[in-house]
Amino acid sequence: TVRPKNEVQQKQLCDFGEYVAEILPKYIQQVQVTCFNELELLIHPDGIIPVLTFLRDHTNAQFKSLADLTAVDVPSRQYRFEIVYNLLSLRFNSRIRVKTYTDELTPVDSAVPVHKAANWYEREVWDMYGVFFANHPDLRRILTDYGFEGHPFRKDFPLSGYVEV
Amino acid sequence: QTTGLVGLAVAENPHERLRILYTKILGVLQNIPKDAAYRKYTEQIVNERFDLVKKETDVQKLQDKLNCGQIEEVIVQAENELSLARKMVQWKPWEPLLEEPPSDQWRWPI
Repeated sequence: TVRPKNEVQQKQLCDFGEYVAEILPKYIQQVQVTCFNELELLIHPDGIIPVLTFLRDHTNAQFKSLADLTAVDVPSRQYRFEIVYNLLSLRFNSRIRVKTYTDELTPVDSAVPVHKAANWYEREVWDMYGVFFANHPDLRRILTDYGFEGHPFRKDFPLSGYVEV
Repeated sequence: QTTGLVGLAVAENPHERLRILYTKILGVLQNIPKDAAYRKYTEQIVNERFDLVKKETDVQKLQDKLNCGQIEEVIVQAENELSLARKMVQWKPWEPLLEEPPSDQWRWPI
């Protein structure tokens, strides 16, 4: 069985993506809509806070809820980490994904001033990948053991780790 | 009478409050260049809502016409829009793209 195509929703998402790209051309590099009707905005890393505040405060895009904040490690790229924010709008019942990139040493602006929920998610991304968030209120390890060295979710970290348990 | 929402008090005289907020937003929007898409669209939205607020004096009917939840939520939304407009004046997002990504950055599958 194949998921039925929802043309109306696809068209609405395409229109909204073009709307946002028209308003924020300084930071948005690309907009895409997946075949499963998911809208993705690809951002320059300096534009995280402007784009997230715009999506939270603007009347046509009240994405008040940060559903997820993760990172993806693609070691072959120049900027290996891809930070992904998933936002949900309760007023319009729609979701949007915002993606940025960074390498191992460049800090990224923290999303905590915009969404309080980003606090622990950013701690997890720091702990697991090593992406430093500037202006984070309390950036420390959250899932690994107290004296743990290394960032486990990176692709070059071995599955059974470096220390024997 | 209550809003039914936790933490949002009932607003007495919502028309006045909305009028002040919308005039402030329009004032802030004058500071950004006229051809910016943000200014165009936000002015359109604010003027539509402002006209509805001016025409309709009954609170319940205004809520139905705006179709955006309770009046108190509309007031909160207008306050958010005002703070966003002030930040937009500083960030200037209508300028052209800051920096192109590396050519393989957004290619998927790798």
